[in-house]
Amino acid sequence: MSAAETHDDHHDDDDHHDDDHISHVASIKVLAGTGGALLVLTIVTVLATKVDFGANINLGIAMAIATLKATLVVLFFMHLKYDRLFHSVVFVGALLAAALFVSFTLMDSNQYQQTNIWNPDAPPAAPIGPRPTSG
Amino acid sequence: MSDQLHPPHDDRGAEHGHGDDHGHGHASPFIQHHYDDAKHQFDAGKLGIWLFLAQEVLFFSALFVAYILYRYHHPEIYSYAHKYLDVKFGAINTAVLIFSSLTAAWAVRCAQLNQRRGLILCLAATIVCACTFLGIKYVEYSHKVHEHILFGRYFDPCVSSGGRELLTKGNNCAGTKSTVVWDAGSQAATYGCYTDIDQDPRKPGVQASCQVTEYAVSEAKGAEGKPAAKPTETLKAAITERCVEEPLPGEEPEPVTGHEAGHKQAGEAAPHAQKFPCWRPAFQPAVCKKGVGILVEYGDHAEREDIRIKAECKAAPKAPDPGDLLADRQQQLALGKPAIQPRHELTVHEAHELEAAGAPPEHTNMFFTIYFAMTGLHGIHVLFGIGVFTWLLIRAIKGQFTPDYFGPVDFAALYWHIVDLIWIFLFPLLYLIH
Amino acid sequence: MATQPATAQAKVDYGYPDGPTSELDYLHAEKGLRSWLLTLDHKRIGLMYLFGILGSLIVGGAFALLVRTELWAPGKTIVSQDTYNQFFTLHGAVMVFLVIIPGIPAALGNIILPIQLGAPDVAFPRLNLSSFYLWSAGALLLVGAIPFGGLDTGWTLYTPYSLETKTPVLIAVSGVFLLGFSSIFTGLNMLVTIHKFRPQGMGWFQLPLNVWAIYATAIMQVLATPVLGITVLLLAVERFAHIGIFDPTLGGDPVLFQHFFWFYSHPAVYIMIIPAMGVISEMISTFSRKPVFGYRFVAYSSVSLALLSFLVWGHHMFVSGQSRLANMVFSALTFTVGIPSAIKVFNWVSTLYKGDIRLKTPMLYTLSFLLLFTIGGLTGLFLGILAVDVHLHDTYFVVAHFHYVMMGSTLVAFLGALHYWWPKFTGRMYSESVGRACAIGVFFGFNLTFLPQFVMGARGMPRRYWDYDPQYQIYHQLSTIGAFVLGVAILITVISLVSSFWTGKKAFRNPWGASSLEWQAPSPPPTFNFEKPPVLHELYNYDDLVEIGEDRWERQAPTEVDPASGSSTVTPGDAHQ
Repeated sequence: MSAAETHDDHHDDDDHHDDDHISHVASIKVLAGTGGALLVLTIVTVLATKVDFGANINLGIAMAIATLKATLVVLFFMHLKYDRLFHSVVFVGALLAAALFVSFTLMDSNQYQQTNIWNPDAPPAAPIGPRPTSG
Repeated sequence: MSDQLHPPHDDRGAEHGHGDDHGHGHASPFIQHHYDDAKHQFDAGKLGIWLFLAQEVLFFSALFVAYILYRYHHPEIYSYAHKYLDVKFGAINTAVLIFSSLTAAWAVRCAQLNQRRGLILCLAATIVCACTFLGIKYVEYSHKVHEHILFGRYFDPCVSSGGRELLTKGNNCAGTKSTVVWDAGSQAATYGCYTDIDQDPRKPGVQASCQVTEYAVSEAKGAEGKPAAKPTETLKAAITERCVEEPLPGEEPEPVTGHEAGHKQAGEAAPHAQKFPCWRPAFQPAVCKKGVGILVEYGDHAEREDIRIKAECKAAPKAPDPGDLLADRQQQLALGKPAIQPRHELTVHEAHELEAAGAPPEHTNMFFTIYFAMTGLHGIHVLFGIGVFTWLLIRAIKGQFTPDYFGPVDFAALYWHIVDLIWIFLFPLLYLIH
Repeated sequence: MATQPATAQAKVDYGYPDGPTSELDYLHAEKGLRSWLLTLDHKRIGLMYLFGILGSLIVGGAFALLVRTELWAPGKTIVSQDTYNQFFTLHGAVMVFLVIIPGIPAALGNIILPIQLGAPDVAFPRLNLSSFYLWSAGALLLVGAIPFGGLDTGWTLYTPYSLETKTPVLIAVSGVFLLGFSSIFTGLNMLVTIHKFRPQGMGWFQLPLNVWAIYATAIMQVLATPVLGITVLLLAVERFAHIGIFDPTLGGDPVLFQHFFWFYSHPAVYIMIIPAMGVISEMISTFSRKPVFGYRFVAYSSVSLALLSFLVWGHHMFVSGQSRLANMVFSALTFTVGIPSAIKVFNWVSTLYKGDIRLKTPMLYTLSFLLLFTIGGLTGLFLGILAVDVHLHDTYFVVAHFHYVMMGSTLVAFLGALHYWWPKFTGRMYSESVGRACAIGVFFGFNLTFLPQFVMGARGMPRRYWDYDPQYQIYHQLSTIGAFVLGVAILITVISLVSSFWTGKKAFRNPWGASSLEWQAPSPPPTFNFEKPPVLHELYNYDDLVEIGEDRWERQAPTEVDPASGSSTVTPGDAHQ
């Protein structure tokens, strides 16, 4: 067990050189600031649902705020801003693979000819390409 | 992709030769032999945990695919069903998890700066927050279980997402056996819970409130010289005294057996109690006149020696509030049918309310399938997180983490942040649908 | 559980034919069951995997022979339809999940990769051991489903049948879930090892192609396998609790299962083939005494194949009700995914050109691979054409195609690589004559089994059918005969290899004159792989490797790489002080 040295607070500047430490040490300012911002954004996102801009826009707003919160978590809490680029590549790669999964599957199911239950009077969407003729 | 190339590690005879311990004393005993130094091990571990987090993202991705697919194709299910969820709990959980993320990141900082007390405090705080999260989840889940708002074939709520009572498939309504909405105009029940689905709800029969408690019947009631009759007879006699029986329009009154003797009228018409089918064959409700409500006759406990049967007359429901959007509508009594159009042009808010007041759209259970799958999987990850952090706490108390060796704290914190991140998306997607 | 390093560089005669060394080999370094079950040595872990995998190969092969026996004649030959369904399902599940997916990465990769990098171990030895135990538990559960009723859904577990069948799907998919995590952790380990444990001088383009292949495989293992995990988890929960996600009566979508399943299972087939391609690169270079032609192209094609593999899963679903648009998109992408594989085949053939070919057993398997993989790959393209696939889907054409790539390519490469590295990790030479005879037997048996299947598939014979029209019988019979020839050849190979543990001639460090780092370690290596730091040489340079005896090669004049030119060598004595 190493000697119980305690470090002074001068270690917690953002631009503190990392040669003393194995990896970047987050400052209290950054941590608390990020935490505070996340809590504020949570409140904002709840309040935003009280106003009705239309279903899709509300969804867009909620997702935008969620993405912003996620970005703050990833950059500051997870240190990705101060880390090797490759770690960001790994994470973004995973997100891309997931996005691929979603988009191709959605593309496919979007084509199914079905009546949208929400609007029973709307005709079914036309399929891609000409209909096959029989015979 | 340029990684630091490490000189070949010479294992022979080397103990701490590579221990680059920055003058803080001996290198940590937890640096493994095949690593050059603490930084090498930390870097490798960091890459490893990021790869693990990548796979976690993909692990959840399939559920997000399912969510997006179903929401895109059945938005009515989502806009109806999300009202069953309590935004308050979701928001508190979000705040709790964000705070725990903060304490986890802070714990890493404490470990890096050798602040043992701070480390222990932060780890403990993270665990407490995680347990709080699970506690609130438990409250939410138990409410859903209680109300039968569940996944798949178990979705059978007693109330609509706007709070109105519903017809259910198996009368799984918690608490009461059945409840009724009485239509004063047609003098018939229009809406209620049934246990027996074969009962045709469109027939003008009365589905009674079977909130039966014991009703005291004394032998003295069977007086007028009659011997103490069989309990059933006295009971029926006793009960029918309380009401004036009148046949409903169109119904032939059935003769009531065996209680003419004890019969006392309040001077009104037919001495016969109407017998209407109730959801239990044994119940023989009588309709009380003058809007008093519904009384239950309790008929199947003949085997009891002392019958004490108390039946409560329900007060007739108030006349419908003209502002009530559902007031002048007849609801179809078939399960799963949406409500019919209201009287006036609805505002968006009223439209949402109306939608929520009606029956669930077809396959609303799919929302809860996805809800429970996503929050359940997330909850399992929170549980694992609690386990990992507890292990870390024990190790921190033993003083095993140093500025050289704090990898486990950092990596567990990264895992925890991913758990938080997933919840950051789950919260608006599930709870905050417009 | 690290052993104590030798206190001095004292050399002892441990029985190595090369002469005394300072350390005992890893097989004998520690004794007792505990030292094996709790080992952190990647070689021991790899060896345990190997035995598990060979055992599973025998089990899966037995089911295959049962399938083929039943199909000898139309109608019932030995078993009923329901039992037949179990045979092909278990054959598929055991082979895919227990043999082919883990085969090269987990067994051979574990044993060889760190040594090939000059490293003492993988990045996370304890995770490595956990991966092995996950594999074992998964194997036990999967095979353990048999006495409880087996599995009859087909290895693809399609809903809605997999939701309704009375067979114990829950037990089997629990096994699959654990196997998935074993695969993920193995890939994770390999990726970090390759990033963090390369020696100085081994930049990315000095990596052996086997390492590139394992790297590409690891990317897929980490990104695709979790989707398998969640898919079987949802299947299990659906069966158990009827949540409704795949059940149309509750509002779910059975085709969604197929999307989920194939999002993993298509990259899975590349998890199977890319390591095979990696070992083929190694063997073809060594036994042609030539560098691999177009090294960078082969390296890039491994990674691009890994990435492209995520884009084509819908080609398994052309006739499942997938939309026309998706069908066209997936078909077009499927054509692109053939390109990296073709690049590799051309490069390998070019490697052979004007090479000094030595027809040892691994080379015979390599040459078989070239032909069989070409056939398998091309027939895959036929299946990628939408119109043709409508005719060929779910026929024996598909069965033949995937056996050509999974067995004719991956398993053949696995057997070749097993022979290639056998002297390294067992310290024994296998019997070359038996090896060669079995390699030829495998080649002929394999083609006899599966070529007729292309024909009968194109003529309409459906797959997974217990009964068939008499016109197909001749093809089935040829196929069955071939299957038994193949089975006997594989069995003899395995027996011959295993018996060489005890009876084989002791091996020198470099029996083949290969150039990568693992051939500088003793055969078998000590626990930490090298008793003196290896010397990095130019990749695939055979100039100064000289055969000084039978199955014995050495470098006469070291071709060290100059540090000034960007990659450096550590020669003995220059070790990290």
